[in-house]
Amino acid sequence: MSELFEPVLRGHDERRRAELVAAYMAVEHAAEPVPEVRFAALREPALRRALEEMLALSGRTLVRSEQTRWISGYRDDVAAELAAEPECVPPAHERAVLTLVLIHSVAIPRAAGLLADDSWLSPHPTPVEELRRRTQLPIGELEAALRRLRTAGLVAQVKAGADDAGGFVPGPQFHRLTAGARRRLQEELILAAGPDSPLAAAIRARRRGRERDRGETR
Amino acid sequence: MSVEPAVLARARARVLGAVAVGAADPVPPGTVGASDGDRVWVLPAWPDGATPALLEEYQTAPVPLDRPGQARRVLAAALRCCWTRPDDAPWPGESAAVAAVLGVYADMSRGDAVLARRWATGELRRLADTGWLLLDEASGTVRPGPRVALWAEHALPSLRDLLRRLPEPARDGDGGE
Repeated sequence: MSELFEPVLRGHDERRRAELVAAYMAVEHAAEPVPEVRFAALREPALRRALEEMLALSGRTLVRSEQTRWISGYRDDVAAELAAEPECVPPAHERAVLTLVLIHSVAIPRAAGLLADDSWLSPHPTPVEELRRRTQLPIGELEAALRRLRTAGLVAQVKAGADDAGGFVPGPQFHRLTAGARRRLQEELILAAGPDSPLAAAIRARRRGRERDRGETR
Repeated sequence: MSVEPAVLARARARVLGAVAVGAADPVPPGTVGASDGDRVWVLPAWPDGATPALLEEYQTAPVPLDRPGQARRVLAAALRCCWTRPDDAPWPGESAAVAAVLGVYADMSRGDAVLARRWATGELRRLADTGWLLLDEASGTVRPGPRVALWAEHALPSLRDLLRRLPEPARDGDGGE
């Protein structure tokens, strides 16, 4: 049945095999990064390499978080290929809603020093009213976009509390970004929010440089 | 430095969720195909018969649902109507009228039946988005989704017991209002 994993699992005894399977299912299906103290296959370097091999079979890789926690995400090269396929990319209005949530919940609090530099998760909700005003989407379309983004784990709803009206924050999928993906997202947000800023010019120059390098090595 | 096609195909299958291809089309190697005769849905292959239920043994939380209780009850109401031969597997099951499913759900819930139906309608859409049900809103029918084909055989008896205890669906024609 699972011939796919057999070449990797074959060399391990029964106990290690079970540990690999448990860690694989955990990093692929957990809502948040899982602590390595609970999974031998995350703690032991040799088993962790085997786990990486299992994930690589589907274009996935391990993403480390807070030193001792792990989750899986798409390898950068795989994400780039899939992003070039229209059917694999959410429609424009869903991306627009998600971008607004990232600007309000992450970019603005980060600029104000309220959020750490390298996280895309945030406790600061984007109010629905703001989404309504800025997306210029009919309410039915906005609601459908939010429903699909929530189902995909790309946004999460925060209920209204004592001092705020609630709204939406980036969802659990943002745990699954690799370091490279987090950096690209950061750059894209700078390009979108301040296209004429010196920072944006530097990003464009660096990307041109990278493309040139790649061209020369071909 | 392009990605190996089989690796990319499995990654694509995860991005798209349970998508259908023609019954004669090949499913990517290293995935599982759930066929209803006409179409095949591409599903992930898990190692050594494991399912995401394994997370529970390790006190690890899966991705949360908005209203997990309601989602489970609506899925149960749908299976009550669509899994008509309980000795068989729930997949592919039979089509049932959405009205019958909403009726079963309303009978299972306390309180305002109109409100219960409205909530259940939204829940049917969410369950269809995630491949647990196949919803045809135009014809007002629903079927089990391809993901139920991934349920392990040993998990089915308790599910059968549970469904037997649910209210019976109304027969064709008297499920609506």
